[in-house]
Amino acid sequence: MAEAAADLRPSPEPVRPAPKPVLAGVPAADPPAADTTEPAPAAAPQPTPGSGGSFIVVRDRFTIFCDRPIPSLDMPNALAFEVADRKQEGRPLYALVCKPEMPARISVMRALKGLEIPAVLHMVDWGVAEWPPVDRKCVIVIYHRPLGGRVMESMSGQFKRIPDHLFARSVIKPIADGLVELGQKGIAHRAIRPDNLYYMDEQRTKMVLGDCVTAVPGNDQPVVLETIESGSCTPSARGSGTYADDMYAFGASVLMLAIGRNPMQGVPDIEIIRRKIQTGSYGALVGDERMPVSLIECLRGMLTDDPDQRWAATNIDLWLNGKRLTPIQAKGESQAQRPFRFAEQEFHSIRPLSYAMYQHWDKASQVINDGSLEVWIRRGHELNDLADGIATAIKSTGAMAGNKADADDVIVARVLMMLDQRMPIRWRDFRVFVEGFGQALAVAMLRKQKLQPFTDFINRELWRHWVLAQTKHLPDNQQYENVFKDLKNYLRDPNSGAGIERCVYELNEWQPCMSPLIEAQYVMEVKGVLPALESVSKTANTKLWPVDRHVAAFLRARYAKGTGTQIDSMNDSRPDRATIGMLSVLAIVQRRLGPELLHGLAMWVGGLMWPVINSYQNRNKSKELEKEIPKLIRKGSLAELFIYLDNPEERQKDAEGFAWAKAEYAAAEKQIYDLEHGQMDRQDSAIKTGRQAGTVVATVIMFLTILVTLVAKLL
Amino acid sequence: MNKSRLFLYAIIAIPIGLLMIPTMIVLMVAMIPTGVAFLMERGKGYYGGLTVGAMNLAGTSPYLADLWFKGHNIPAAVGIITNVFAWMMFYGAALFGWAIYSTTPSIVSAFMTMTAGNRITGMRAQQRELVQKWGPDVESVYEPDKGANENNESSQTSTAAKMAKAAGNGKH
Repeated sequence: MAEAAADLRPSPEPVRPAPKPVLAGVPAADPPAADTTEPAPAAAPQPTPGSGGSFIVVRDRFTIFCDRPIPSLDMPNALAFEVADRKQEGRPLYALVCKPEMPARISVMRALKGLEIPAVLHMVDWGVAEWPPVDRKCVIVIYHRPLGGRVMESMSGQFKRIPDHLFARSVIKPIADGLVELGQKGIAHRAIRPDNLYYMDEQRTKMVLGDCVTAVPGNDQPVVLETIESGSCTPSARGSGTYADDMYAFGASVLMLAIGRNPMQGVPDIEIIRRKIQTGSYGALVGDERMPVSLIECLRGMLTDDPDQRWAATNIDLWLNGKRLTPIQAKGESQAQRPFRFAEQEFHSIRPLSYAMYQHWDKASQVINDGSLEVWIRRGHELNDLADGIATAIKSTGAMAGNKADADDVIVARVLMMLDQRMPIRWRDFRVFVEGFGQALAVAMLRKQKLQPFTDFINRELWRHWVLAQTKHLPDNQQYENVFKDLKNYLRDPNSGAGIERCVYELNEWQPCMSPLIEAQYVMEVKGVLPALESVSKTANTKLWPVDRHVAAFLRARYAKGTGTQIDSMNDSRPDRATIGMLSVLAIVQRRLGPELLHGLAMWVGGLMWPVINSYQNRNKSKELEKEIPKLIRKGSLAELFIYLDNPEERQKDAEGFAWAKAEYAAAEKQIYDLEHGQMDRQDSAIKTGRQAGTVVATVIMFLTILVTLVAKLL
Repeated sequence: MNKSRLFLYAIIAIPIGLLMIPTMIVLMVAMIPTGVAFLMERGKGYYGGLTVGAMNLAGTSPYLADLWFKGHNIPAAVGIITNVFAWMMFYGAALFGWAIYSTTPSIVSAFMTMTAGNRITGMRAQQRELVQKWGPDVESVYEPDKGANENNESSQTSTAAKMAKAAGNGKH
């Protein structure tokens, strides 16, 4: 359904009976067609008089009703609407319309489409279609509708806890199997939480995992359901995550299902992480609650903080088959005998100190720079390598040019990386996993947030410090090196086709083009750029270039071989060459990827060709171009326009003709000068010539007189 | 002129002179203005003398013709040189010759000035056409010293300079 054709028309009269109310625990969603009093989530279109409202049809099959929202199935970054399947009437479906400010997981959608994975909500189809309420294209995902509604209405609510005896076979086993199957396809769900678990049947017996594609991985997860590391990270920068992360979230969700509520409700995120670090995740989550004895072992396994020791599906199978396993106890933190006093607290181990240092960034700088931290690590923990690393970080960063405050920030960030390697890179308020950097950048850009931390991250090579701080070699490290080296080069380049825009497209394979011109068209592929520009050509400000920084960066990232040279020429300092470069970018894309006719865009681009027309010195040629361009515009072919305007022979002819004309003008100017300033010479010449002429005249007269006299005498 | 050639001229001229004494008498009197003109214009070329001489001779020719056709003898020659009208004729013609010599440079100068004006007008029109066709960028101001330097510097390499030369020569 990618780029599915969609049409908007008045809604037909209700074609199906109103859905039955769902079961207890879930509010009676799915209002009947006539009931449109519920506020629309976005600027809902006005119902057409005499009809039931508006709708769109995708793939000539799915009718999505714009005015029939289902708030009970909304996701944090997507709104739910009713869907009717024209081929299978009565099939329970619903659509999630993604919010534009959050990138969707397109690659996961492509993998999940049509797959029926047990215990995972079945994705029927997905695509991009015009969504009238917001007057732009949106990603729309169509799912099987869970008739039993959500397992838990919200993370802050309470619900009737699931009986202990149902957990193992009805909850843990099917969902763990579903996660295994997802894992086999290389997908981490990253949205496992009690309010994203659904009952597929009205009897509320079959539990499934909900949507996981309408936001970047882990973005919507509350800190309580995330591992210590992931929870410490900015939500959009958590990266794609792993199966182990899913198991942790699943374990935390099961714990809540067993308790019947969120045990950490109302506790600030910072405190949640601090408690998890202090007592371990299991201990922090359970607290004083009474857990079913049968689940303790399983929960301990799934909530182990060390991802290498965390339970996987095999452990769960063994546990379900009755083999009692004791989770390997996490290796305890090294404890110093002498405490380290920091921010009015005493610390004996490194990890809690590291977290406290992050929370008190400015104070951290003091204890690092005065050497007390290094001494404590060296003497209290006898970790000489770590202490040496800190000393080196202080020396090498302090020696760098730049302002001291920035250098101090880098030192603190580097020391935190060394103290707790598993944690995300922390740069004051900016917390990011290297793997999640691209997604976080995309989200920040879509939300129009400040991008300074991202450029700092690249320019200050924080990623390199993080890689160097890792004691465990990761295969991705070399890849990071290559990727970030390229990103740094893009940032250094101020031209179109580079910059932070290029970075975001290079890092996010399916990121749609964010150009203000075509953002609403949700263009994910190069072949969609020209049709999108064509469609906005009537409303866009045609004084602007259609190839702006975003479009150039998008094309460069997605179609470098085809457009690289053209985009380079677009950055030429000469306006005519730059304009021709811009035209060449569009022309080559049209020639190679179509469409053949682009009348609106041709008219837009044709109107920007003044620098090219004016670059011809020959006025007659310019006038000829002015007459000819409208004819080519009417053909709708940018390639033809480009070929006509970028004719090297004509340009050569023009240049040579101009040189001749200039020379001719100069020669005439010189002659005029000579004539005007040669008065004295001319006077001398006139005297000389006049005297010669006088002599000649006198001689002629003399001969004539003699002749006449002689003739007269002789006659 | 060497002595042998002078001698040769003398050999030819003296007998002729002796044979044409009446003519020589008339000419010696009539051609005095010519001699004066040659003397006055010494160092400025011979045009003054030649012009005055030619007109002087033209004025003398009717009396010489009378002399030759009515009796080539000394009394006739003396008759001519004592005739006041003959003197008026000789000297009037010489005066006219002097007038021609004096006025033709001014006339030629005026004519040349008029021709240069027309040429300038023509070239300005040509320049206007060039500007109309190629735009104001084609314009340039001729600065004699700079232009000469530029020409010298670029004459060996610059195509434009070659073309300028060609255009100056009217080849384009």
